[in-house]
Amino acid sequence: MQIRDYILRRLMVLPILIIGTSIIVFALTRIGGSPVGIYLSHEMTPAQVAEIEARFHLDEPVPVQYFYWISGVVRGDLGWSGVAAAPVAEVFPNKLAATMELAIASGLVAVALGIALGTIAGARRNRLPDHIIRIVAVSGASMPMFWFAILLLIVFWVNLGWFPLGRSDPNIFASIAHPTGLYTIDAILAGSFKAFVDAIWHLVLPAVALGYGATAIIARMMRSSLVEELQEDYVDAARAKGLPERLVLRRHARRNALIPTVTVIGLTFGFLLQGTVVAEIVFRWPGIGRWMAAAVLRGDQATIMIYVMFTSILFLVVNLVVDVVYAYLDRRVVLGE
Amino acid sequence: MVDSPNTDQIYLQTRDSAWRVRAQRGWELTRTMLANPTTVIGLTIVVLLILMALSAPWITEPNTPDAYQMPRDWSAVRVPPGSPGHILGTTNRGGDVLYGVIWGARTSLKLSLMVVSLTVVIGVVIGSVAGFTGGRVDEVLMRIVDVFLSIPELIFALAIAAVLGPSFTNIILALVVVFWVKYARIMRSQIIRIKQSEYIDAARVIGDSKLRIYLRDILPNSFTPVMVQATLDMGNIVLVGATLSFIGLSEAGIAEWGVLVSEGQAGISAGRWWAPTFPGLMVFLWALAFNLVGDGLRDVFDPRTESAR
Amino acid sequence: MMSEGAEKNPSKSPAPVVASVADLQVHFQSKRGIVHAVDGVSFDIHDGETLGLVGETGCGKSVTARSFLRLVPKPPGIDAGGSILFRPRTTCDACEGRGCESCHQTGRVSAGCSACSGKGCSECVQSGEETLDLMQVSNSRMRSLRGDRIAMIFQDPGKALNPALTIGSQIAEVFYQHRSAEVLDAANVDVSGIDPGSLLLKRQAAQQSRTIERTLLKIPPLRSRRNQITAAVDDMVADALAETQIANPRKIMQRYPHELSGGMRQRVMIAQALACNPDLLIADEPTTALDVTVQARILELIHELQQRRQTAVLYISHDLSLVRRICDRVAVMYAGRIVEISDADQIFQDPRHPYTRGLLAALPSATQSRGKLAAIEGTVPELVDPTPSCRFSGRCPNEVETCARFDPHLQSVGDEHSVACFIYHEPPEGSGGRPTLAARSS
Repeated sequence: MQIRDYILRRLMVLPILIIGTSIIVFALTRIGGSPVGIYLSHEMTPAQVAEIEARFHLDEPVPVQYFYWISGVVRGDLGWSGVAAAPVAEVFPNKLAATMELAIASGLVAVALGIALGTIAGARRNRLPDHIIRIVAVSGASMPMFWFAILLLIVFWVNLGWFPLGRSDPNIFASIAHPTGLYTIDAILAGSFKAFVDAIWHLVLPAVALGYGATAIIARMMRSSLVEELQEDYVDAARAKGLPERLVLRRHARRNALIPTVTVIGLTFGFLLQGTVVAEIVFRWPGIGRWMAAAVLRGDQATIMIYVMFTSILFLVVNLVVDVVYAYLDRRVVLGE
Repeated sequence: MVDSPNTDQIYLQTRDSAWRVRAQRGWELTRTMLANPTTVIGLTIVVLLILMALSAPWITEPNTPDAYQMPRDWSAVRVPPGSPGHILGTTNRGGDVLYGVIWGARTSLKLSLMVVSLTVVIGVVIGSVAGFTGGRVDEVLMRIVDVFLSIPELIFALAIAAVLGPSFTNIILALVVVFWVKYARIMRSQIIRIKQSEYIDAARVIGDSKLRIYLRDILPNSFTPVMVQATLDMGNIVLVGATLSFIGLSEAGIAEWGVLVSEGQAGISAGRWWAPTFPGLMVFLWALAFNLVGDGLRDVFDPRTESAR
Repeated sequence: MMSEGAEKNPSKSPAPVVASVADLQVHFQSKRGIVHAVDGVSFDIHDGETLGLVGETGCGKSVTARSFLRLVPKPPGIDAGGSILFRPRTTCDACEGRGCESCHQTGRVSAGCSACSGKGCSECVQSGEETLDLMQVSNSRMRSLRGDRIAMIFQDPGKALNPALTIGSQIAEVFYQHRSAEVLDAANVDVSGIDPGSLLLKRQAAQQSRTIERTLLKIPPLRSRRNQITAAVDDMVADALAETQIANPRKIMQRYPHELSGGMRQRVMIAQALACNPDLLIADEPTTALDVTVQARILELIHELQQRRQTAVLYISHDLSLVRRICDRVAVMYAGRIVEISDADQIFQDPRHPYTRGLLAALPSATQSRGKLAAIEGTVPELVDPTPSCRFSGRCPNEVETCARFDPHLQSVGDEHSVACFIYHEPPEGSGGRPTLAARSS
């Protein structure tokens, strides 16, 4: 009951935040000037320019322009991408699939690894594994990803030649259908083991580069909340019942330590999303992040607006989901303010 | 209570001793902080980096006319580390990596100091206004803060810098727009918390004006969380700033770590590892050092969070 | 309400000793040196009696109690010496623990010493019963005793229950850990085979299943048998809860701790502690965190259950009037030492140690006029690297020079009454004067 009300309330706020984001995004791009430039060429006469401006409503006041833009977005008209030389709506799904494959892969690894490392460090507090994990975690939070990614390339691509660059071997993937756009899934659906291995092969380095920071953040949170939980009375009470240490840790302390960690996992998702921009540049991964970077450098406003809108909404939804999971996990939580 | 003629005097005395207590506590906290080896390591690196930034014109010959531009030695392009005159090697455009490393520290110091001081001022003012006036103003300001927080910071900064056009100054502006939000939040929650505490009631009973209460009691008490955040941001801003530069939002050719990594990136497939490695390492050290010091500060000021020991 | 003393163990003949603490020393590593939190504590607990351990905060009473279960965190805790001998009982064969003539309705009988088969040897301190030194036994043996033979009730039931697990699943853990054979028996599940299914179920009943095994147990053929086990444990949990006079135990089992009141939570803790009919119950200030109105009922409950099952109780408290109401014997602790131990009535009628006298004088009583509560002067001493001296010197009204230079030890001053004070026994040779009670001013 309570949780349902809470979700409803959060869902009601969601549109407000999304509209707010769209206004900020639109206002921002208009500060940079009229986007009419991408439709023009040098040979056009002033009359032709005016005609184009009128066609795209660029002669109207900015609030009206916003209205035209947002109603276009709602109808699925996301604008024209100068960088991709195609409508945004057409290019977006495939590039999004590439980015999501990368983000989900590193996210899953980061969550599993982060929780495992944090648990080990917290349970063996102030002993060698703890010290090592803490050094890894602290440096992970300060690691410039563009640098870490390049170091990985220098070692594993240039010098050792263990891992490739890019997203896939085109020779292998040319013969495979792409119903989902997620190459690993596509390979499984096509029943090609070779393609699956190739997809994983290409995923390893970018996923490691992208996931390191997130792993560090999760491990750090997990450790400190586990250390805190292990000092609680109910842990001693569980020992007093005769439970072996393994169960005291897993069934009792870790369950509670996971609660604050879940919140951090939500934040980590934003970290992963923005990280894809850099990871995709370095690893030449054909996702929306690299597209965004190119759009930024070339003033492709339609792409920038949709990208920022999309990531913000995704970020908002993920955080909503995380809050709901949190409320579900922590029975004591008083929902709301 | 109010009619007692001595109240004012007692209040003044209490406040004087409060300052003494605060100073003494400050000393104790400094000592606890320095007892933590990781904080000391962080602090040492911070000091060394800042020293390097400040003494850059004396360690290396400044490039003319603009010392923040990379000098180009076209006679020694792509030389490896250890070459005469280029201890850390050069990039594929003859930029001396060592020069970039040293002057990059100065650029980073400039960047982080400017952004932190601007964001702290903006955030503290907006947070104070929201916390103090409350009501509708607070509501509106906090919704704006929520919207700002709902966009991942690097992407937001990227979009802003993109709109403003690629230049280092615009990176500073973009970072300011993104980073003030946290301070507004911290400040507002501090004010609301302190507003409800008893000693503010005491000050109000004595008849202190709102402004005086703000300046004398609330501001000093909100200092520590803002300082902790500012320390952490000194590192984060350089991290995000270098990332923006790496993506290509600075002018090419300036002595900035992210720009240098970007310039050196192309050469790695040919085995020229040094050009991206050293400047990137500097970004890492910078962020790490300020994070360590920030964590140390937080452990000391907020003992509820797990200490790093 | 209980009438004072009336319900206390009436038999004066000494019941068998269930646990015997000898010269227990527990120290703590600290920045300023080694803290002697418990510094040479000795006492016995007999079957079916309630022993009150009384003292101020920080006197070492909780550390002493936790030592029984080896729950003192190490580090910083250090075992500095001494022993806690404990005689675990086994379930009475004749009645299977329900209580009968041969086990005096307790459901427990003493276990024979394995080394001498009951004749008495050095292993069992000539008792012929199985005797364990709790400071020495292996970790796995210790675990098998915890919650089964020795149980503990914690001070704050709100903190001692896991907020993320239901009440039922928390109590069930005790049965899974210590009664897995009985659980399988009650569930009527045949696990005699060596097929994988039986092994999985056996592990499930002992709470040893890993995540994968639990998933396997959800598959139909095993699922019904697993459900039988769960149902059997639920029955046991419900019975345990009903013992503590909780109405509608089935409903409570599905609740989370935060949904219950403080008194209810403590009942749950008691149910959990007494689930396996322990020989010794350690109650660490079980009513301190509760409302005054609930306190009395919880006390009554503990007392009643203890009377019924003849469980020995070590009752830790700082509340003298409470201890007087429920304890058969009382040990007064001060700064890591027991300074006086005796029959409860005796100690309240004729306190000997100056500290006990001070404590009793500080107690408000009906006969005293209002507003004249005595307080003991001074503060509790630092326990960092103490020098040999009476710990109470410096605060003692009867103190003489000897007290600051020599260490008094517990010595008998009469029937089952011992005091550690030079007033009652000769200080070592070469010392100065001897304190007297007469020295007490006004």
